[in-house]
Amino acid sequence: MLMHHLRVLPLLVRMHVRSKMEYRGAFWLDRLAQILSYGSVFATIGILLARFDTLGGWTWPELALLFSFQLLAYSLGAAMSFVQLRELEELVRLGTYDTLLVKPFSPWAYLVFSGLNIGYAGHVILAVALMAWAVLSVDFAWSVWSASFFIAALISATLLTGALITMIGATALIWVRSNHLFSIFFGFWELTRYPLNIFPGGIQTILVTAVPLALTSSVPVGALLGKPIPILGDWAGPVALVAGPIWVLIAIAHWLYATGKYQGAGG
Amino acid sequence: MSAYFAFARSSFHSQLAYRNEVWANIFGKLVQVFARVAIWQAAYAGIGGIVVEGVSLQQMVTYALLGGAVMGATRPERIIGEIGRSLKTGDIAVWLLKPLSYPLYLFANECGSFGYRLMTQVIPTVAFTALFYGMLPPASLFDGLMFVAFWALSFTLLFLMSALFGLVAFWLMTSFSLDWILGALLQLFSGLLVPFWFFPEPLAMIARHLPFAWVVYYPNAVYLGRLSTAEVWLHLGLGLAWAALFLAGVLWLWRRASTRITVQGG
Repeated sequence: MLMHHLRVLPLLVRMHVRSKMEYRGAFWLDRLAQILSYGSVFATIGILLARFDTLGGWTWPELALLFSFQLLAYSLGAAMSFVQLRELEELVRLGTYDTLLVKPFSPWAYLVFSGLNIGYAGHVILAVALMAWAVLSVDFAWSVWSASFFIAALISATLLTGALITMIGATALIWVRSNHLFSIFFGFWELTRYPLNIFPGGIQTILVTAVPLALTSSVPVGALLGKPIPILGDWAGPVALVAGPIWVLIAIAHWLYATGKYQGAGG
Repeated sequence: MSAYFAFARSSFHSQLAYRNEVWANIFGKLVQVFARVAIWQAAYAGIGGIVVEGVSLQQMVTYALLGGAVMGATRPERIIGEIGRSLKTGDIAVWLLKPLSYPLYLFANECGSFGYRLMTQVIPTVAFTALFYGMLPPASLFDGLMFVAFWALSFTLLFLMSALFGLVAFWLMTSFSLDWILGALLQLFSGLLVPFWFFPEPLAMIARHLPFAWVVYYPNAVYLGRLSTAEVWLHLGLGLAWAALFLAGVLWLWRRASTRITVQGG
């Protein structure tokens, strides 16, 4: 069964990429627009820092590292989940999800890989370029250990993002509608461009527990740079590393539970 | 006219149908506003000042509440998305058969959505955060009244800009990038997060003259009494001129677009 999946997955991805690249001009125009959009957010934070020097004790290059880490972890995780799981609500509503259940293939794997979103290329290009500048500009002595921690934390943050989006999408199997939960997700996600310590205690607690998006940005980057991390303190580094795998297990359990509860809404 | 009123009412009611979404939207809006206030509190604390560029922290908190809650009630992506969807599905062709104006329908639809967001997001968020942070009242009765006029102008201008960007989709055959480009311009040049008095010159001078400034910056500056009476009237006139220019642009583009509709969907 596993070998069957592994053989089919590259074919699903190739088919989707080909369909998306049919209109190359439009594809790259869309990516340029996204780079402009995130670039303007970054420029706004730059203007703020140019006048106020620091934000919550973080300097401009440190915030640039935070912004690029947050954007890269999100785009890698969301490419594997967001558009695909956002569409699950519509599949449930129309009843077309039932056709996935009768395929000799995991519905989650089919959804994710047949819709692998290469549209996040713009996010990745901007984030990697900015990260390269920030890594060189930040006042920090890099070592093999710190570089390894950085990469491992990035993988963990990517897994955590994909797990949370999967859980929101899977909720549609129980509630039929779940896309409004994405507005809460993105409301909190926008906050993770900033250091955790600037927010009120209630928001800090939510960002570390119920909607743990701080673990995909200011917690790992703050732990790396030796910044004080609220709530977690010295545990910030280890928690950032294990958060991704743990939330993947929680997401798998939630997916199985939601699939068990699924009754179908379409006719 | 009653047809357009019906569109606005229908848009209002269709969004009220899902109560979970109403609560999720209120919660999301509250989080955003709390975060914006937190950013300004952290910025002022960082330099240990309570007045920067003649603006007190309390004024900046009020600016953040107004920018986040009041001005955030219009959604350009919804307008551009609506045009893009109609184009993709072929529904746009049906509008040419109806004795109705498509741009006016879009405006009526957005008015209904605006009313929904006003009741379910703006008023609860402002009431709650004002209790929490102590939002300042308008600088004077004149500034308060003019703020309402600037707010109406901001809504109209944002609608016209969005419709203009959306209509360009007739030539590009995709509305996705247009939505993101308008979002990028508004993010940087509307003063949504950072008002222009904190911008470096000459970027501030350029930003003050772009139409995006009338979406957030000028209404908020009027509320806080940052403009003299003469400046308020001058900028209201300039804003109306921008709105007239965008209106002419929308009508012209719609006329041009109507002649090149290629129905691919439906």
